[in-house]
Amino acid sequence: MSVVQSTGLSKHYPGVRALDELTIEVQPGIVGLVGANGAGKSTLIKLLLGLIPPTAGEATVLGYDIATQGPLLRQHVGYMPEHDCLPLEMNATEFVAHMAQISGLPRTAARERAAETLRHAGLFEERYRSMAGYSTGMRQRAKLAQALVHDPELVFLDEPTNGLDPAGRDEMLDLVARTGRGLGISLIMATHLLGEIERVCDQLIVIDGGRLLHYGPLSEFTERTQTLDVEVTADAPRLGERLRAHGLDVTVEGHHVLVSLDGAPPFDLIRDTVVELGLGLVRIQQRRRTLEDLFRLAPEAAIA
Amino acid sequence: MTTPPTPPAEASASNIYDLGYRRYEGERLGRRHAVLALYRESLRGAFGLGRSAASKVAPAILIAIALVPALVQLIIAAVIPIEAELIRAEDYYGLITLVLALFCGVVAPDIVGRDQRNRSLTLYFSRAISRTDYALGKLAAMTTAMLAITLAPQVLLFAGNALGTQDFGRFVADEWTQVFPIVFTAAIGSTLIASIGTVVAAQTPQRAFATVGIIVAFVLPLFIASILVQEIGTEVLRPAVFISPLDLLDGTTVWLFGGTLKDSVAAEAGFHPATYLAGCLVITAIAVGLLLRRYARVQA
Repeated sequence: MSVVQSTGLSKHYPGVRALDELTIEVQPGIVGLVGANGAGKSTLIKLLLGLIPPTAGEATVLGYDIATQGPLLRQHVGYMPEHDCLPLEMNATEFVAHMAQISGLPRTAARERAAETLRHAGLFEERYRSMAGYSTGMRQRAKLAQALVHDPELVFLDEPTNGLDPAGRDEMLDLVARTGRGLGISLIMATHLLGEIERVCDQLIVIDGGRLLHYGPLSEFTERTQTLDVEVTADAPRLGERLRAHGLDVTVEGHHVLVSLDGAPPFDLIRDTVVELGLGLVRIQQRRRTLEDLFRLAPEAAIA
Repeated sequence: MTTPPTPPAEASASNIYDLGYRRYEGERLGRRHAVLALYRESLRGAFGLGRSAASKVAPAILIAIALVPALVQLIIAAVIPIEAELIRAEDYYGLITLVLALFCGVVAPDIVGRDQRNRSLTLYFSRAISRTDYALGKLAAMTTAMLAITLAPQVLLFAGNALGTQDFGRFVADEWTQVFPIVFTAAIGSTLIASIGTVVAAQTPQRAFATVGIIVAFVLPLFIASILVQEIGTEVLRPAVFISPLDLLDGTTVWLFGGTLKDSVAAEAGFHPATYLAGCLVITAIAVGLLLRRYARVQA
């Protein structure tokens, strides 16, 4: 069963198409929602939470209609906003337990769940401290804890690593991965950092200018290409010429000779030619696409 | 010299975090429960419960001041062995008019402004409640908080007067009809003041602006109505009483307690007291409408 299904979902503001005709069916898993700043990521999340009404189109989240079943749907969905949203005068336990109750959990269950979720988020020791004294990383964890406390089936994370230092970023991404893989909760994580997507996500939604560029498993984006990358220490143009003479389709980029493949890679021929020329061979590797390649393509030429 | 023992590798933080997390299989009580939880937490916050000591000070002082006239009556009744009803129930709100406005000015920005200041509205709106639920939950909390300075002093005063009589049984038999106006005026007054206070406070996350705005919203109409109705006092200007919620409350209260309007803006304006009650209800309805509209539009 898909976690999100939308047809022609649009949100227009005066003079801006924040989201335009989005039709998508998202499968469970850890889904990266990627796009430049202003691409429409936050708008999409807010639409799917029923926080803002769509201009056109419709969508269901976990089978609930976003337009008519908002409160019911939101009992089963968590949301970690990008911006600061913590009442700093409260301690984490009180705040997270209160949020659990606002999600419909009974009072005792809310307190138990608050403790468990704060433990999961790594704030167990600090749970009775006022959040005013928390570091940015701890505040991000508290924000994640409130999004998880009611045990949602789907969680929307809006830039969860915002403002974190590299160590905090690593911890947060580990926490996201453990939440998704360990607890089996589906996550849709908006970010503009491709490295984060590659680290934790198994699916990817790419939007740009409010339009869907691509949706699919992450492996599709990083699959091996039909290009063999031969890196040598020097004299790559000479190696290129020699390989061309053997009938290969070759381009040279700095110290790299890129060989277009048509069938089995000619490893032996390349090794022998490099030895003949007396060059140092750094690597022979079939190239993988990176997410950056996707954004190097002009939006209209991308794999829509 | 001994070296301290190194902790075992499995004591790393990530292993600790994973202990004890279970999926939640229990019941989900839905919207009604969520709104009640919001109401309870907002009400606690109004009196600074669960917050720093500093946030308890202002509401506590204002409640104490509002109780002073009733306490004076109690003390006099206890000390002087004659039946002395110095302060009458229908005059009570008139005595504490400014305290009512101040209390609302202190508490409403806490109840509705805090979530805007913290930008935590998003967290509420992305949960089991609707925007309307949120607004009504906050209004209910504010109305209940107001009861602490409307209903509580009246109850204390009633008790004081009862204790001051020679014959407690006879007092209750004679005066039990006061119970209805005590409860009803407290309910009308609390809802009226709370609805105006919350709608003003909901316009800004800035606490100071909200407090000043609320006090102005109550006190400025008092002055204007007083000038137009009492000082100038022409026939055409008499309806000016209807711009002043606290004058309308005064007129309503005196009428419901069966008293006679005198020496007040409501008395000078000369409308039937029932129209003052209608005025209170209309202003409350407008304020609630504006409050719902505000929360339907506020950015989350």
